[in-house]
Amino acid sequence: MAPKQEFKTTAMFKQLMSQYYAQGVEARRKNIPVAWVTAVFPVEILYAAEVFPYYPENFGALAAARKIAHDLSELAEAKGYFYDLCGYARCGIGDAYAQEHPVGEIERPDIIFCCNTQCGSLPKWFEAASRFYNAPYFLLDAPLIEDAWEEQVKKYFIKQLEEMIDFLEQSTGKAFDYNRLVRVLDLSNEACRLWNEILDTAALKPAPFGFFDACFHMAPIVTWRGTEEAVTYYRALKEELDERIKKGIYAIPNERYKIYWDHIPVWPRLRWFADLFAEHGALVVVSQYTHSWAYNFDPSNPLESLADNYLKSFVNRSFDKRIDLKINFMKKYNVDGFVLFSNRSCKPNAFGLYDKSNVIKNVTGLPGVVFEADMSDLRFFSEEQVRSKIEVFVEQLKER
Amino acid sequence: MTANALVKQFYDVVNNPGNAPREWQKQQGGRVIGWLKTDVPEELIHAAGFLPYGIVGGKTKFSRVDAHLQSWACSLMRSCLGIALNDELNFLDGLIIPHTCDTTRMVSGIWRQIHLLPYMENFFLPRQVDRASSKMFMLAELMRLKESLEVYSGSAITEENLRNSIALYNENRGLMRLLFAMHEKTPGLISCRDLYTVVRASMMMPKETHSHLLEQLLQALRIQNNVYQGRDKVRVIISGPVWEPPELMDIIDSKGTVVGDDLLTGFRYIASDVNTEEEPLAALAERQLNRIPFACFDSTQNPRRQFLVNLVRQKQAKGVIFLHLKFCEPENYDYYDHKLALEKAGIPSTRIETEVGGVSVEQMRTRIEAFFEMLGGI
Ligand code: SF4
Ligand code: SF4
Repeated sequence: MAPKQEFKTTAMFKQLMSQYYAQGVEARRKNIPVAWVTAVFPVEILYAAEVFPYYPENFGALAAARKIAHDLSELAEAKGYFYDLCGYARCGIGDAYAQEHPVGEIERPDIIFCCNTQCGSLPKWFEAASRFYNAPYFLLDAPLIEDAWEEQVKKYFIKQLEEMIDFLEQSTGKAFDYNRLVRVLDLSNEACRLWNEILDTAALKPAPFGFFDACFHMAPIVTWRGTEEAVTYYRALKEELDERIKKGIYAIPNERYKIYWDHIPVWPRLRWFADLFAEHGALVVVSQYTHSWAYNFDPSNPLESLADNYLKSFVNRSFDKRIDLKINFMKKYNVDGFVLFSNRSCKPNAFGLYDKSNVIKNVTGLPGVVFEADMSDLRFFSEEQVRSKIEVFVEQLKER
Repeated sequence: MTANALVKQFYDVVNNPGNAPREWQKQQGGRVIGWLKTDVPEELIHAAGFLPYGIVGGKTKFSRVDAHLQSWACSLMRSCLGIALNDELNFLDGLIIPHTCDTTRMVSGIWRQIHLLPYMENFFLPRQVDRASSKMFMLAELMRLKESLEVYSGSAITEENLRNSIALYNENRGLMRLLFAMHEKTPGLISCRDLYTVVRASMMMPKETHSHLLEQLLQALRIQNNVYQGRDKVRVIISGPVWEPPELMDIIDSKGTVVGDDLLTGFRYIASDVNTEEEPLAALAERQLNRIPFACFDSTQNPRRQFLVNLVRQKQAKGVIFLHLKFCEPENYDYYDHKLALEKAGIPSTRIETEVGGVSVEQMRTRIEAFFEMLGGI
């Protein structure tokens, strides 16, 4: 297979991300509080409060992608944190106790924010961290949302956003600036819009961009969302993709099948999976994971629209609703089959996948497969088992 | 009846899980609403005219569960699903699932797929308990649950009904606390396994009947009180979600005794009453926020650490045994902190990894016995 042509924006990406990490150091020098936040969190409020948001999950993904997750995990395990916990948490906790930091040291927090829309692992990890680092902790609690009790949950969430702003004013000693929040929301909207346009190019056949590319390029939409930097970056990436489409440069040569993937990639095996599919002319084109950042805020109604967007993240929806969302993606991207990753680290995404897979097969008639592994820890990865499962699945694709 | 004969009746309820609710259905013609552990306000279910039934897992075949819930989910939820898949819960008309962790949150969807019941509800508890918004949400959620039960029953839950149910539950808890107090003073009077079986039975049968039996048991034990010894047994505290497998209690009984716990199927279940002076829903909300701390709804300072240290001192226990279910994330995240707090206070502790439903206790036996030996018991 011809080597993949690097994106020009990759250089820009590297520069942007190192600038992001440098900001953490810079923040300390300038006395700007470093705040830990979770990926699905109304970070717009923190940017508006001029606090530096740091993403420990991102650290976990980085450690996983560099294949050192289990080294860090063992340090956490030595303290009594078991390897049944989320891999990101084990990396973060392990690094706190580590002497050596092969992927850089996890940033020490001055304050800790957490939203449990995603899972119940993050709040427990961050709670422990708040005691370890002696940093005040704020949990934004997001009960599962369904139409029948949407109003009640939304009211609760908005009330907490107000409490959070009070908490921020106390921690920073500065009055919260709502005008700045409106500007941040505009920037966030713009970056999300661009990001989704980029993701949508994967629906073209053949596509210039797929899920594994998105996993690489998503760091700025997580970390820089709400700033000019994110907008500039995704504008450049979008332009580059348009150019590629014109020139006929595609994600894989001879794309024959499009695949839906749920949910996170197996970070240390990202490339391995991409190649395995490419061998058969299959391209993974869509996943709820990379589509998490599809926010659309109404800046004239900031708190309510933050509540709407963050509460309704797919992981926080009911079983049936989540199936509908998956099927909608499958239709929109016109996929030929689906792969569901039962990620040992991530109970809220993995539990229920077997039943979901059956329902999806019945409704769509598409072939699908569920495989077991861990997103970061290769101790739970059986290459032979996964390969043979995927190969059986690919055979089903070919038979259709 | 002798104490032994009475205790046997509680075992009968626990060992034949469907019998008590089926019997009640036959006599009363009412509907049974199950609840998964923990913290579901049974008083509301009872006030709506239903029989609340606690599903706390147990021995089951796991092979059928594997197709629905991964083997790395906690065995508590896996065994509950297993029991349902085995048709052992076919007396249920409804089910309420509290969202305590990611596992229960996902099980609520899976359960609908495999065992759809006429009435299915979730119960959401605020995960933060330090701020004003948590009280607001707790009250709104109790209101929602009340309305949902009313819709299903077809009639309103009157304040009077709710007050009566609260009184009934308070009374039952009070009686169980008396039994705990008696056991603490004279541990030889009734074994730990017997004691905790009484608690477990109370989740699985009508409270009215349970209280009636329990009063007789207390009376019988009062008469035997002076005969029994056991004051010199090595005293320990146990901490965790549930005391499973039950044989574990026999091991503890053979080496010492439990004088305090924070278990969902132990003292935590009966520790907090509902204030009868207040408006009932507000009182239920307040009770929830005042319960013994638990990994799923801690305040951020992890008050459970201090709770355990205090409990050890207050009960003059010699150490703490953590009974942690394998794969239970919430408990595991807090464990290091708990251990550290106990170490700082000079209190020995050990952690036993447990599982619900048909596992061998031999490994646990060695660990527990070694711990007691270390404490200077035998
Ligand atoms: S991988 Fe899953 S469990 Fe881990 S932090 Fe993300 S959402 Fe939570
Ligand atoms: S809190 Fe622990 S024991 Fe309880 S359901 Fe969740 S994982 Fe299982």
